[in-house]
Amino acid sequence: MSQSSNAVPSPLVLPARTAAPPRHGPGRLLERWFAAVTIAPTFVVMVLVFGLPLLFSLYLSFTGWSLNQQLLGGEWVGLANYQDLFDDPVFIGSLGITFGFTAAAVAAQLGLGLAIALLLNVDLPHMRAFRTALVVPMMITPIVGALCWKLLLDPSHGVFNHWIGERIVWLGMPGTALAAVWLVNVWHSTPYVALILLAGLRSLPSEPREAAAIDGASRLQMFRHVTLPLLRPYILVALLLRTIFEFRAFDNIYAMTGGGPANSTMVLSMFTYLTSFVRFDFSLGAAASWLMLLMSMLMCLAFIAVIRRRDAN
Amino acid sequence: MAIVTGSRRARKLQAAAVYATLAALAIAFLFPLLWVLGLSLKTRPQIFADPPLYLWWPTLEHYADVLSRADFLKAFLNTLIVSASAVLLSLGVGVPAAYAFARFPFRGASLLFFGLLVMRMLPPIAVLVPMYVLFTKLGLATTRLSVVLAYSTFALPLVVWIMRGFFEDLPKELEESAWIDGATRYGAFLRVVLPLTRPGMVAASILCLQLAWNDFLFAAVLTNNATQTLPVLMAGFSGGDSGVDWGAMTASGMLVILPVVIFSFAAQRHLVAGLATGSVKG
Repeated sequence: MSQSSNAVPSPLVLPARTAAPPRHGPGRLLERWFAAVTIAPTFVVMVLVFGLPLLFSLYLSFTGWSLNQQLLGGEWVGLANYQDLFDDPVFIGSLGITFGFTAAAVAAQLGLGLAIALLLNVDLPHMRAFRTALVVPMMITPIVGALCWKLLLDPSHGVFNHWIGERIVWLGMPGTALAAVWLVNVWHSTPYVALILLAGLRSLPSEPREAAAIDGASRLQMFRHVTLPLLRPYILVALLLRTIFEFRAFDNIYAMTGGGPANSTMVLSMFTYLTSFVRFDFSLGAAASWLMLLMSMLMCLAFIAVIRRRDAN
Repeated sequence: MAIVTGSRRARKLQAAAVYATLAALAIAFLFPLLWVLGLSLKTRPQIFADPPLYLWWPTLEHYADVLSRADFLKAFLNTLIVSASAVLLSLGVGVPAAYAFARFPFRGASLLFFGLLVMRMLPPIAVLVPMYVLFTKLGLATTRLSVVLAYSTFALPLVVWIMRGFFEDLPKELEESAWIDGATRYGAFLRVVLPLTRPGMVAASILCLQLAWNDFLFAAVLTNNATQTLPVLMAGFSGGDSGVDWGAMTASGMLVILPVVIFSFAAQRHLVAGLATGSVKG
C-alpha cells in the first residue's frame, strides 16, 4: 500500500496517554488474549446468524414441524422429508433445471467474458470508457435489471416484439422463458468474469509471449498455446465462483417467471422459497436447503483447493 | 496485446475491428437500461406509442410522482437504514477480527476462515428458512434489525477478507515500535494501525453497501409493508400484468439503481477483489 506510507506516524510522537503495558492483573490477561478478544465478536455473530440457524434447519429437516408449534416441538420423522423430496417430480425436475441452467449460464459467461477481457486488453486508447460501459449490468440491482428485461419482452408493448412484428409471449412458454432467464443471468454476470480474466491477463508475464513471437507463432497459436495455459488459474477461479453463485440464482427468476411456466424455470432456490414461504412447509424447505448446502459446500471446497494451489505456486 | 505484428494498415484495421466489436457489445449490454431510462422519461401515451418513439421531449412527471409517494420514500429510507447499519455492524465486528487474522496466528484460524468463506458462498435461501422461523419465534421477524442481522451473513465475511489483505500489507514494524514505546496491543491497533487502513475500510464499506442495497431475497422474507426495502417494493410492480404503471415502475427502477451505480463506480477498482474474496488482495 503505497498511499499509506506518507501517513506513517513516527513512534516517537505517539500520544503520551499510551501507558506502559500492564504487567499484572486483568490488563495483562487482556493483553495476552488479544486475538481471542478481537475474534470473539465475529465468532459470536457467525454462531448467531449462521451456525445456529443451520443446526436448527438440520433439526427441522428431520421433523414434521409447523409454525404454530414450539421451537423444538416437532415430531421426529427421520428421513421422511428427504424421501418426500426425492419422490416429488417437481424437486427432481428442479435438480435437473438447476444443474443445466448453472452449466449453460456459466459456460456462456466464461466464453463471452473471455472474449471481452481479450478485447479490453488490446493496447488502444479509450479502453477505460468501454470497460466502464461493460461493467454496468453487474452493478445494478438484480430485481430492477430483471424488470427492465421484462418490459422489453412484454408481449403487447415490448420493444422486442415490435421489432420482430409478432406478439410472442416470451415468458409464457417453457422454452423461451428458460432462455430469457438464462440470457438475463448471462447479461448480469458476464462482466464479473470479464473483470477477473482482465485482471489475470494484465498480470501475465510478457516473456513467454515475446519468446513465442520471436519463434514466429501466429496470433491464434499464441493464444492457444501461451496465453490460455497461463490464464488457466484465473479461468478456474471465475468458473468456480460463477458456478457457486449461479447455483443459488434467485432474484432474476423470481421477478421474471416465479419458477413457471409449468415449473420450467424452477431452480432449487425457487423451489425452496415456494416450499417454505408460500406453502409454509418449513420442514420440507429445510430438507431441500440442506441438500443445497451440501452441494454448494462441495463447490466451496473445490474453490478453496484451487486458491490454495494457486497461492502455493 | 503488446506484441505488434503486421503492417501499419493491418494494425489500423485491427484497431477498427476491436473498437467496432466493443462498441456493439457495449450497446447490447447497456440497451435494456437505456431503453427503460427512455421509457421513464416519456408520458403515458408516449410509453405505449406504436411504433415506439425514438425521439421525444423528455418529461420528469413520473419522477415527480414517484418522489411524492409515501411508500417509495419510506422504502428508500428503510433501505438506507438497513444497508448502513449492516455495514457499520460488520465493520465494527469484522475489522478487529481481520487484524487478528493478519497478525496473530491462533489455533483454529484457518477453520474459522473456512467458515467465513462458506458463510459468504452458501445459498442465502438455506440460511433464510431457519432464520425466518427463529426470528418469528423471537418476535424479530418483519423488523429492520432482523434484516441487518441477515445481511451480516454476506457483509461480515467480505469485511474480514478485504481488511485482512489490507492489514497484511502494512509493515509489522509499525505496531512493534508502538509496543516498544509502551502501547498496549489495543492502543497500537486503534491509534497506529487502524488509521492507516482507512482506504480499505472505505472499499469494504462500498462493496457491502452495494450488496445490501441490491439484496432482494432476505428483505422480501424478513420485512412487511412498513419495513420493506426498495428491491422488495420494485418486485411488487411485477405482479399483475395489465395493472402495471409503467411510468412509475421505470422511474422508481432508475431511482433505485442510481445510488448503487454511483458508489459502485467509486469502488470499481476494488470490485474484483471483493468478488474473488481471499484470492486477490484488496
